[in-house]
Parts: sequence; structure tokens; C-alpha cells
Amino acid sequence: MMAAIQAMARRRPPGRHVAGWPQRVVGCLLVLLVLSAGLVAPPANAANVLRLFNWNNYISQSTLDRFEAQCHCKVEQDYYSDNEEMLAKLAAGATGYDILVPTGNAVETLIRQDALRPLDRSRLPHFGNLNPAFLGGFYDPANRYAVPYAYTITLLGYNRTRLDALGLPHDTWGLLFEPKYLEKLKGRVTVLDSPRELMAAALRYLGYSVNDTDEAHWARARDLIIRAKPYWASFSNSSYIKELTVGNIWLAHGYSNDMYVAAQDAEKAGRAFTVAFSTPKEGAVLALDNMVLHRSGPRPDLAQAFMDFMLDGQNSAELTNLIGSGNPNQAAMPYIRPAIASNKAVFPDAEGVRQLEMLRDLDRRQRRVLNRMWVEIKLR
Amino acid sequence: MRRSAVLWSVSLAVYAFLYLPLVVVVVYSFNDSRLNAEWVGFTLHWYRVLFSDDEMLGAGANSLLIAFVSATFATLLGTMAGIAMHRFRLRALPLLVITPVAMPEILLGVSLLIFFVQVLNFTLGLFSVLIAHITFCVGFVAIVVRARLAGMDESIFEAARDLGATPWQTFRRVTFPLILPGVIAGALMAFTLSIDDFVITFFTAGVGVHTLPLQIYSMIKIAVTPEVNAVSTLLMTLTLGLIILASRFAPDALKGAA
Amino acid sequence: MSKLAPATITRWVVSGPPTLFMLLFFLAPSLIMVLASFRYPGAFGGLAPVFGGGRPGEDTGLTLENYQFFFSDLLYTEIFLKSLLIALISTLACILMAYPLALLIARSPKRHRDLMVLLVILPFASNFLIRVYALMILLGPQQALASTINGVLAAFGCAPVSLLFSTFAVVVGMVYVHLPFMVLPLYTNLEKHDPTLLDAAQDLGASAWSRFWRVTFPLSLPGIFSGSALVFIPVLGMFAIPDLLGGTRDILIGNLIKDQFLGTRDWPFGSMLSIMLTVVVLALAGLAARLGQRKRDGGN
Repeated sequence: MMAAIQAMARRRPPGRHVAGWPQRVVGCLLVLLVLSAGLVAPPANAANVLRLFNWNNYISQSTLDRFEAQCHCKVEQDYYSDNEEMLAKLAAGATGYDILVPTGNAVETLIRQDALRPLDRSRLPHFGNLNPAFLGGFYDPANRYAVPYAYTITLLGYNRTRLDALGLPHDTWGLLFEPKYLEKLKGRVTVLDSPRELMAAALRYLGYSVNDTDEAHWARARDLIIRAKPYWASFSNSSYIKELTVGNIWLAHGYSNDMYVAAQDAEKAGRAFTVAFSTPKEGAVLALDNMVLHRSGPRPDLAQAFMDFMLDGQNSAELTNLIGSGNPNQAAMPYIRPAIASNKAVFPDAEGVRQLEMLRDLDRRQRRVLNRMWVEIKLR
Repeated sequence: MRRSAVLWSVSLAVYAFLYLPLVVVVVYSFNDSRLNAEWVGFTLHWYRVLFSDDEMLGAGANSLLIAFVSATFATLLGTMAGIAMHRFRLRALPLLVITPVAMPEILLGVSLLIFFVQVLNFTLGLFSVLIAHITFCVGFVAIVVRARLAGMDESIFEAARDLGATPWQTFRRVTFPLILPGVIAGALMAFTLSIDDFVITFFTAGVGVHTLPLQIYSMIKIAVTPEVNAVSTLLMTLTLGLIILASRFAPDALKGAA
Repeated sequence: MSKLAPATITRWVVSGPPTLFMLLFFLAPSLIMVLASFRYPGAFGGLAPVFGGGRPGEDTGLTLENYQFFFSDLLYTEIFLKSLLIALISTLACILMAYPLALLIARSPKRHRDLMVLLVILPFASNFLIRVYALMILLGPQQALASTINGVLAAFGCAPVSLLFSTFAVVVGMVYVHLPFMVLPLYTNLEKHDPTLLDAAQDLGASAWSRFWRVTFPLSLPGIFSGSALVFIPVLGMFAIPDLLGGTRDILIGNLIKDQFLGTRDWPFGSMLSIMLTVVVLALAGLAARLGQRKRDGGN
């Protein structure tokens, strides 16, 4: 044992390069510290930066480039993939965002939390471009806070070739809930991993409003879902786009702009089948996203310049052409590709609009009851 | 020798399990299809996209930097904690370093955000991300270092002291070389934990601080393109290069000890 | 006052910095969440105030309601048990896969070990999500793996199964992303074993198997314990894998907790669930450590 210690001690005599290594390690640490400290320092000139908290891929790069050139400023974006992510981060105290892009119900929450700055309409000369049908929503009846930006409809995307071969209809939530249809689709169906969206589909199918809060109606919807669940492959919020395109999944409950992407991708990849999407006749959820000003944003002036820029028809149309989202801007219509503009699942006619509903937030007790039901649905 | 053949074949199977998905990642980064689903044809398109995407490249650089810095500090603190837990009968420290490992990261993220903003009145930025990453990595390092020390012959350390070594000398000449493989393993774990973290980073990152996971998770909804495969491939190559470089220039004590 | 003993100084120097750091950046923030588990959710998310008036329709102050809600319903206990089971299966699978590999690395010539360890960790320098996506491709219905299995099943007249979107896929995913956390602690432990012990055992005529079972394995228990802790615990909190790879029944405690913060805006219930989980995990870890200690003490 002694010999081992001595050997170990001898192995590293205080020689030329050995003695220095702890110092070198400490030196390296200091360098790292300084390096990171340098990056911690706030960006040199915060003056001309507009900060967006936005969905990813929710603005075209060329639109951004043009705005940056016009305002001589820089646009920085942070991303979220769900309203709730954004709300949670803000609720915990995050600050510094000029513009958020929440969906209607989240706008209501933000307004009631007193987290938003009212708009200065004199800075928004293009506000009149907006289609009045999308103004005065329940969350902001007097249009004081929100500038409608884009919308999606929660609907059914499907492999048209397969559905036709099986002799199934395209336009009813029954596809998702009725065993007589599902037997032909077993393991080929995905639904959204979202309690509100899935319950909304079930509620509409049962003839109720998506905002119905009667627990007996919820229980009926839950039972409908539990009965259909064994036929579904999975709950999926994102991978359904790809699975539809590849052909693994034949029917998916999802958002119109995602379905648009799936249809485009399938076509581009030269599939032997076509992917299509349509709004079920029983009615569906409309999600209208809005630009709003967060109170903590240091540059409301730049933010409103940006909003007005996005209200311009041509700029607004770029987003629709990019991702196939619905567009509340009338002035954008001439610039939107005809294939999209004529698709009723993206731009519903007056009849279709009447069948759409926007989700409203639940109160905390209802939220808890719904979450418990969701757990039950998942476990059964 | 029959036994070592078994060992080899099982190990090769495990390596295959680890690398099969990785091969898919790398191969599909050269795939001429947006879909990430099946092989269409060879292209360098996604690398061209990547190299003109400043946001993605910046996020990659941030991720690497955060991972290196937080792994370094987490290793330092974790090694100290591991040694302290082994040497001294401490009650609080083991709980303090192990609980964060056991705590769901969402809770850690939200609590750190509330703490930074509402208690310390701190502006979120890169620094808050670093602190958060160090916090959840320390426990992993400490547990590995402690496992390395467990069951080690205490008499070595006593003998060193008897021979008149100061605590620092004992540490440098005896303890450190002995625990080094544990320290290196801990550092590697901290590095991968940090570079992959989404939840805690999402909550603690300040405006305009991007990391790769933040960038990639937000793409989930709109389908992840092979550009992400390309950036992952690049990141892996860079990490490999940095580790090789680090081991080349590492102090002698680090060489061959692991 | 007398001079501090060097041992005391060492003790403070070594344990001081990590203790201080964790007190400040872990304990203090988590106390906020412990408190949160006794609060009411805010009307629009976040937390309702403890003191003073809240918004209309908001309860303020402290409450045991969240804990009562949990225990009033077996559903939540069921999720806990299910998650513990998945974590246990994943941990065992990790041990079975990691042990031979760790042993092989530890017994390899010194100059190869670094590279072999590096090879274990390297895949983890790529992004988590993209690795899981790659797994999804490999498990997909049109891939070799699924077709082979379903071919065999068909030969026996069984209905085809789906590998992707199943509990099986969840376990595969869990094992895949946590394997290095088992290999590394095991390797660091196995690497320090004194080969002379094995030689001695061999000289005494012990077979290869009994050399492993009587010498190597007991000595490696600390490595197994720490590796298991580093796999079992994170698996419990994981939500991305069940989300992406799971079928229609795969909800784990991690998903439930995530839903409270990023779905239902029920922070108090989420905090309460997290604290329950942490306590259960620490209790299990304590129990395992106690058992391990007894085994080691008894063995010597």
C-alpha cells in the first residue's frame, strides 16, 4: 500500500509541465467565465430592435427582410408552439416582448390580466383592410387591443384515395367517432393531443356548442371518445402531417394549415394518392391569431409600425401563400394564390363561417374537471 | 474466450442500437426530400439552407457554448459535492444535489423563472440559462463521482496524509487521478443534458437567446425539415472535434486516465 | 480562539461552494413551488395571491384542496403506479444492455477505453428530438423491423402489430435516450476493480461465471445503483417520448405534470404532483441506498 502511494506521488514529480496543470485548469475556467460574461451583456444597442414572441414559421422571411429595410431596424423572434407555453412564460414573469401573436381565447386572458397595451389606431392606417367578419370578437369587442393576423380551422385531413376506395364520406366528425366507419380505418387515425380541441369535435358531433360547459354534455362527449379510442393509432399534435404524406395515416384531426402542407408535400413527392381536407358539416373550431402589444415591450412605436406593415395586403398575403393559413385581410385576397383562395376549407363561404366557433377559456374549476376527464380518456 | 465473445457480440448489438437512429439522422441530412421519411436522392441542399440560416447557426453556437460552460461549472461543483458526500457525513448536501435530478424539469424551469424575475429582479438572458443548466447538472456529476469513490480503499488517502501530504497535495496526487474517469463521465453527461434541454431553457432564456432545442421544438408544429438533421450532424462533428482537440491539449493528468 | 483544524477547513472548502450554489439556485426557487402547491390557481393562469384581494372569482390564501383532489381519486394514483412500472422496466432493460458494454469497455486496453466511452456518448451530441424522429422512422410500419416481426406473426396466424405508437415504442425510446446514463456510471465503477482479485479467484478454481457473480457483480453494485437512479428518475419526468412514440393509452406522470403547466394552467396542482413525485422518488432512492448499504455491510 505504502509503495503504491509513493509510486503515485512519484509518478507526477513537480516537473516542467506537470506542476502547472491546476493553474491551467483554473485559467481555462476564468477564460470561460469571461467569455460567457461577454455574452451575458445585453445587446449593445437595444434601441432599434423589435421583439416578437411568435409561432415558428409564422412570417415569411422576405416580408421580414423588407420590413427591416424599411424601418432600419432589426426584428428578433422567440418562438412558441402553443399558446399555453407563451402564457406560462409570461405568467411567471418574462418580459421584453413588443408583440405577441396569441389566439382569441389567449387574447382574452391577456387582456384580463392587464398585460396588453391598447392600440393607437392613428398609427394603423391600414386597419380598414381587415374583413369586418373577423373584428369585434368576444375577446375584444371594441377592437382596442388585437389586430387579426391569420386563422386556421380545426378539421379533418385525409387520404382521399383510400377513403374513396373504402366508400367513406369526407365531411363528418362521424369518421372520427363512429365505429361503423372506424372499423375500416383501424390504426390509421390520429387525433389532436388537446383536450379542448378533441372535446370540441365530439361536442359539435353531438350537436352542442364547442363552448358548452354542461358537465353532462362533457360526459357524453367523453364516452363518445372512449368508445372510438381503440380504433385510433395515437394522439398527435405534429407528426400527423408527415404520416399523412407518407401514407401511414389515412385520417387525421388537425389544423387546416398543417393539412395544406401535408397535401402540398404529398403532391410534390408524387404520391399515388392525394391528401385533402375539409371542414365537417357539423361545424368546427376557428382559431384566429392576433397581433397584440405586450405591456413590457420597450418599443410600441416600432411594434405598431410592424402591425401596419403586416396589414398591407401584399405583405399579409405572403404568409397565406407560405403556409396556407386563412387570412382576415380583404386587401390580401388579390395576392393569394387562387388554389388557396378557392379552397373552402381555408376560406369558408358565408355559410361555412356560420358553422365555425372560437374557443373560449374555461374557469379554473372547469379546467380541472376537463383535465380529469382527459386523464380518464387517456388511461381507459 | 467464449465469454468475451458473448461480451463482444452483446456490446456490438448495443452500439448498433445506439447508432442506427443516428445513421438515419446523418443519411437523411443528405436526402433530397423535405419529408424525412424515405430516401429520395442525394443532395447538399439542406447544408446550403443551413449555412444561410443565421438563426439556426447562431442557435447551434449558443447551444455549444452553453453546454461547454455549464458542463464545466457543473463538473467542478458536482465533483466537490461528490467528494464531500463521500468523505463527510453530510445530511443536507446529498438531498440538495440529488433532489433536482428527481424534480420534474418543468417545475425547475418555472420556479427558476419566478425566482430570477420576481425575487432577484434579474433580466433573463444567457446567464440565467447557464445558472439553470448548472443547477440541474450538478446532481448527475455528483452521483457518478460518488459512485466512483464508493468502496474505494480509504487507507490510500490516510496513508497520503501520514506521509505529510497537505489536503491539496492528497487531492491532486491521489484522489483526483483516482476519480478522474468519474469526473470525465460526469462532464460528458452534463454536456449532453445541457445541449438537449428544452423545457428549462424555454423558461429561463431571455429575449433573443436561442438554443437549438428551442429552435427545433418550435418547428414541431410545422414539420421538422432535414435542415435539422444537417445541423445535428454538424453539431455532432463539432463536438467530436472539440473533444479530440481538448484531449490533445489537455493537461497530462487528464490523458489516459479515463 | 483556537485555529481551525485543517480537516474542518477542508470540509468547508469542499462542501461549501456546491452547498451554497444549490441553496441559492435550487432550494430557494423550489420553496416557491412547494408553497405554490398550497395556493389556488389564478383566474387566468399562474397563481392567485396569498394575501389581499384577488380578481373576481378568484380564491386567495392557502389551501389543502390540491392534495385532497389528488387523494380523492384513484385515477392519479393509477398514473403514478403505471409510470413507476414503465420506469422500472426501462431501468432493467438499461441494466441488461449497459452492463456487458460497460464491462467490455472496462476490460479493454487502456488506450481504447476513451474512444469506446466517447462512442457511447457521441450520438447524444445530436438533438434529442431528431433522434426520436429517427426512432419513429425505424419503428414505422414500412420499415424492416416491423415487416419482419409482422411477417413472423403472420406465419403463426397472428394479426399484425404496430411497433410505433405503442407502449413498446415508449420503452424503446426511454431506453434509447437514457442508456449512456447507465453505461457511464457502470463503467466508472467497473474500471476501478482490481484485476488481481479476479486472478486470485481464478487461481482458486472459480469458473468464469462464479468469478463474475461472486466478485465483479457485488463490487459493481454502487455503479448499478447510481446508474439506476440516473435512468429511473428522469424516465418518470419525461413527457416528450410518450407524446411522440406512445399510442392512445400512454400517459405518464410527466405528461400529467406538463399538462398542468402547459395546458390547464393549474400550477398549484402541477406543483403538488411534482412534489409528490419528488418525494416518492427520494423515498425509493433512500430505500435502495439503505438496502445497498446493508448488503455491503453484510457482505464484508
